[in-house]
Amino acid sequence: MNVTTNNELLLTVALAALHQVIDPEIGLNIVDLGLLYDIHFDDEENKIDVNMTLTTQFCPMGESITQDVTRTMGSAFPTYSINVNLSFDPPWRPDRISPEGQEFLNR
Amino acid sequence: MFPGAGLQQTTSHKVVLPFYYYATVSFLIACVLLLLNTGIAQEHYFQPQTLAITHLMALGWATMIILGASHQLLPVLIEGQLSSNGLGYASFLFSALGIPSLVFGFYSFELGTIFQVGAILVNLGMLAYLINVLVSIYESKRIEIHAWFMAAASLWLFSTTFLGLLLAFNFTKSILPADSLHYLPVHAHMGLVGWFLLLVMGVASRLVPLFLISKYTNDKLLWSIFILVNAGLIGFLVLRACAVNPSLYYTPFTLVLVAVGFFIRFCFAARKARIRKSVDPQMKLSLLSVIMLLLPLLALVIVLAFLSKSTDAKIILLYGFTIFFGWLTAIILAMTFKTLPFIVWNKVYQNRAVGKTPIPKDLFSERLFDTMAYCYLGGFILFVAGIIATNDLVLKSGAGLLLLAAILYAANVGNIIFHRPKKS
Repeated sequence: MNVTTNNELLLTVALAALHQVIDPEIGLNIVDLGLLYDIHFDDEENKIDVNMTLTTQFCPMGESITQDVTRTMGSAFPTYSINVNLSFDPPWRPDRISPEGQEFLNR
Repeated sequence: MFPGAGLQQTTSHKVVLPFYYYATVSFLIACVLLLLNTGIAQEHYFQPQTLAITHLMALGWATMIILGASHQLLPVLIEGQLSSNGLGYASFLFSALGIPSLVFGFYSFELGTIFQVGAILVNLGMLAYLINVLVSIYESKRIEIHAWFMAAASLWLFSTTFLGLLLAFNFTKSILPADSLHYLPVHAHMGLVGWFLLLVMGVASRLVPLFLISKYTNDKLLWSIFILVNAGLIGFLVLRACAVNPSLYYTPFTLVLVAVGFFIRFCFAARKARIRKSVDPQMKLSLLSVIMLLLPLLALVIVLAFLSKSTDAKIILLYGFTIFFGWLTAIILAMTFKTLPFIVWNKVYQNRAVGKTPIPKDLFSERLFDTMAYCYLGGFILFVAGIIATNDLVLKSGAGLLLLAAILYAANVGNIIFHRPKKS
């Protein structure tokens, strides 16, 4: 899934939480779908930047997904403020789906 | 490293949903009219009931639902926002008022003022849509192949309705060099090939890989399809204008046939390269509709083969039926349930956590969809058989099943539209 970070330990906690965020169309969580690019933890300002993408820039589910990411990360890290940034460079490609995600879609 | 692009606004559901409601009612009425008028299958196609049902299917059903869906999908296709919601409302209002006047005019064969006002209103609706599409594409960051399909299809749509407007006036006052019947093949094919075929190809070539989660892309093939379809249609118009030997019509026909072959290849290559292995019933019906595209082409070959002789009206009727009640209806029945649930889901659940809500496909009944699909396919096959066998009982059975499919479709659309979140 290739999610970069500056804090591997907190990344594990974040990814476990973000497994709960599902893309409603595909039915797969956004971690295995490969929508996450980078999660940056700023301990000085108690801020988390989630850099992610969507399957398409005009994804009709985009707003729901990003709101859900903010809510889920807010619950997992209550003392941090959450900032979700969307990027389409590089654009999402199906080969970003993790092997677990592919297995889910193969069912 | 990760420049923020921000979330782009999608089109408001208030613009899109009225088109779906309107189309659903039109489809129901068209199926009722078909059941009441099965005798048309034994007559020449240029008669009131056939013209009324054809225009209700072409404008009220297929065009209205495609306009609705394309207002929603345009941003995905052109990677830019819809330029104006206001033009979207205008497009709906003008068309919604114009179509019944036009259809009633044909049905009662009263081609006077109400009929002509209807034609003007439809044109205003299509003009609003054309401006909206072209400005949206102009304002988008990149203009890729899908945007070209949209732009060209919208231009052909307006050309079709504008010629239709001239024909509507030509019925009562001679404003064209020949009578309206003479221009009917041009009017029909600008709509069928220029509007419906180009639009469906442009949208499907984007959505089929997206819904199947397929890695397949092939812009070169899509450009070939785009050029072949447009060249075929323009070629047909030129040949028609020059009144040449009918055998030359095989050339534009072959160009479109090759384009359809390429399009089928594209869809099935996307299917082959899919990551999601299980194909849902909606996508199965969509892929079947791609194959059904070959039926009207087969009918057209027969029409062309007999063009220099007296063409059997039955074959021309088959040609129209396999397009409007076949290919177009099949893809719309399927794609409604790939688009409408998302629009309504966003309206109802946008501010709720996704994990705690039903997913969009839970908004409609899968069982009802399957039953509808079987009724539809059974009705379609029976009606085609009825046309070929000239048997009214078979025609009535086919039309009855098609009406049942329309009722089941409307019920399932109702399930989505009236969906309310469960109270926790």
